[in-house]
Amino acid sequence: MYGGGFFIEPGKQEANAVADDPIKLAEFQAKIDRGDKIEAQDWMPADYRKQLIRMIEQHAHSEIMGALPEGTWITRAPNFKRKLALIAKVQDEIGHGQLLYAAAETLGKSREAMINDMLSGKSKYSNVFNYPAKTWADVTVIGFLIDAAAIVNQVINAKGSYGPYCRALERICYEESFHLKQGHDAFIDLATGTPKQRAMLQDALNRWWPPIMHFFGPPDKASIHTEKLMRWKVKLASNDDMRQQFLDSYVPKIQELGLTLPDPNLKKNEATGKWEYTEPDWDLFFRVINGEGPCNKERIDVRAWAEEHGRWVRHALMRKTEKTIIPFA
Amino acid sequence: MEKSLDPRVNRLDLQNAAGQPVAQDENWPTWEVFHQKKRGEHHIHVGIVHAADEQLALLFAKEQYGRRLKCANIWVIKSSNVFSLGYDDEDMFETTPDKIYREATGYKVRDKINAFKKSNKTIV
Amino acid sequence: MQHIKELLTKMADDDLIIGHRNSEWTGLGPILEEDISFSSMAQDKIGHALGLYTILNTELKETDPDKFAFHRKETEFKCCHLVELPIGEYDFSVIRHFLFDHAEKLRYESLQSSSFEPLAKFAKKIHGEIKYHIFHADSWISRLGNANEESKSRMQSALNYTLPYAFSIFEPGEFEDRLIAEKVFIGEKALQVQWLEKITPIIEAAGLKITTVKNPTEHYGGRKGLKPLIDEMTEVVRFDETANW
Repeated sequence: MYGGGFFIEPGKQEANAVADDPIKLAEFQAKIDRGDKIEAQDWMPADYRKQLIRMIEQHAHSEIMGALPEGTWITRAPNFKRKLALIAKVQDEIGHGQLLYAAAETLGKSREAMINDMLSGKSKYSNVFNYPAKTWADVTVIGFLIDAAAIVNQVINAKGSYGPYCRALERICYEESFHLKQGHDAFIDLATGTPKQRAMLQDALNRWWPPIMHFFGPPDKASIHTEKLMRWKVKLASNDDMRQQFLDSYVPKIQELGLTLPDPNLKKNEATGKWEYTEPDWDLFFRVINGEGPCNKERIDVRAWAEEHGRWVRHALMRKTEKTIIPFA
Repeated sequence: MEKSLDPRVNRLDLQNAAGQPVAQDENWPTWEVFHQKKRGEHHIHVGIVHAADEQLALLFAKEQYGRRLKCANIWVIKSSNVFSLGYDDEDMFETTPDKIYREATGYKVRDKINAFKKSNKTIV
Repeated sequence: MQHIKELLTKMADDDLIIGHRNSEWTGLGPILEEDISFSSMAQDKIGHALGLYTILNTELKETDPDKFAFHRKETEFKCCHLVELPIGEYDFSVIRHFLFDHAEKLRYESLQSSSFEPLAKFAKKIHGEIKYHIFHADSWISRLGNANEESKSRMQSALNYTLPYAFSIFEPGEFEDRLIAEKVFIGEKALQVQWLEKITPIIEAAGLKITTVKNPTEHYGGRKGLKPLIDEMTEVVRFDETANW
């Protein structure tokens, strides 16, 4: 019988790395092959735990950071429907962050440790949020296309092996469908609106296309590591496959409104069924993820401000004798 | 300091934004949330909230787990008050489906009635 | 109907502006769960504003809510000075939320028996949302007021600073007497008395002192810092006034 376990203290995680028991490993793999979900209290290989924490944590940070570029326009939304929808959407991002941190917490890393790793730059978040939302049109591009890309990712990952992550993703997918719809709706209003609106939208699309092409990450190198993650249903599709799915679903939706994309090589090869495009600049991708993007510093500074200015509230109600327990599910 | 595109951010003082790391347990303990969609239905486990006490836990759970889903009622239980069997005890449940003597489907009365009718046995 | 129009406009403008201010905390709150809760209440306030502007439009021939809210000059707004103040630190925002929302609760409670039927109906409809806002405000005031030295001193300073502004909620309008005579509304004076009676024991139980406000009319007149707020709120609208968004 279990009562809740305590969080692994940061820095102490690597201390007792033991080789995984081959019998337990075989049982674990059999569970996954059967389609059973792994739950928080199951035995799991150390590397499975580590990779999942990293993946879920990054996803959580991305939601929290994702709230910031769109949050730029909350006070300037142009009517009640847009204003209320944008606040609700950004609120949902914070809510998703909370759900995802909770899923990562079940694996033994505390929310505080995750927040600190994000602020120090040790843990990453989706690169796409290191770019500025310059106009209202940017809000519609983010709401439509970046949420669309996130949905492709999330729907695929919802079939993964880790129970708590799958459950979080189910709820997230449901709310994301509202995000996508309201984004698409606002996007269409600009595309079919006045010449000024169309021009604003086309400009936003031109600026966001390169980060959107970066969204799913570089082409996967075939490696034992990737193969293991696929076998464990931690990674369920290659970056390129997800990118193809996204292009197939959404490029036509952009083009049907008479908008263009800033890649003359972007087209579907009817023979192979695959989209062809100019290979994105992956060096730029790595430079941005490592701090050189236009907004990296501001994003981190704003989150640091929030943590710092909220400290007195959190401390006021902390009880020094109370230790946090790992959530069960 | 470069001006942000976000007017809200420009009203914050981002100088010296970085402070001490967040301390362990600073985000408060967790509470398990149970949500009842409609009167008459069971409360279902839907997730956790971090909260300093039960009233804040209910306050937060109402929004995090009740702002979209239809909701009649919410419970919160401190995570440290939840006890569970381990998943290595899952084998204790293995033979449960075999015990058809406890299920209505384990009793084929229609077959017996039909067999009796066919045999033309008369009741004395 | 000018008297009812004025009352509804003032109420709607107050809700819109405080909702707008409180929405600025979305993504910046002291802890994720509270960020989510505060944001819901901001949406509720903006939603209440929309409800009132809708009554103005459908019952009192005012222009449609989007046009009315997003195309007026700041000088045409009727909101009080309290609601337009910047969000400051969380202590200020929580105190403002406490003071304003208690006034709202009493206002809408009394309006449930208003002689102006659409307003009575609306007041009944939203009472559940306001109940949550009060539950939230009271929970935070009592906890932060009683917690530790720092939270106590912050909450007391915020209360001392904000309370004089809060009296601006109750600035009587031009048609106060008519509203009272026709039983549309009990009037700002009566509301203010009820409000002080209600919040005083809660503030004291939170370990805070409620100081007498010497000049309650000091912040009457409002719209003192409203222009930058309205300019910001209407920035996209003004980019292309002919457009549909």
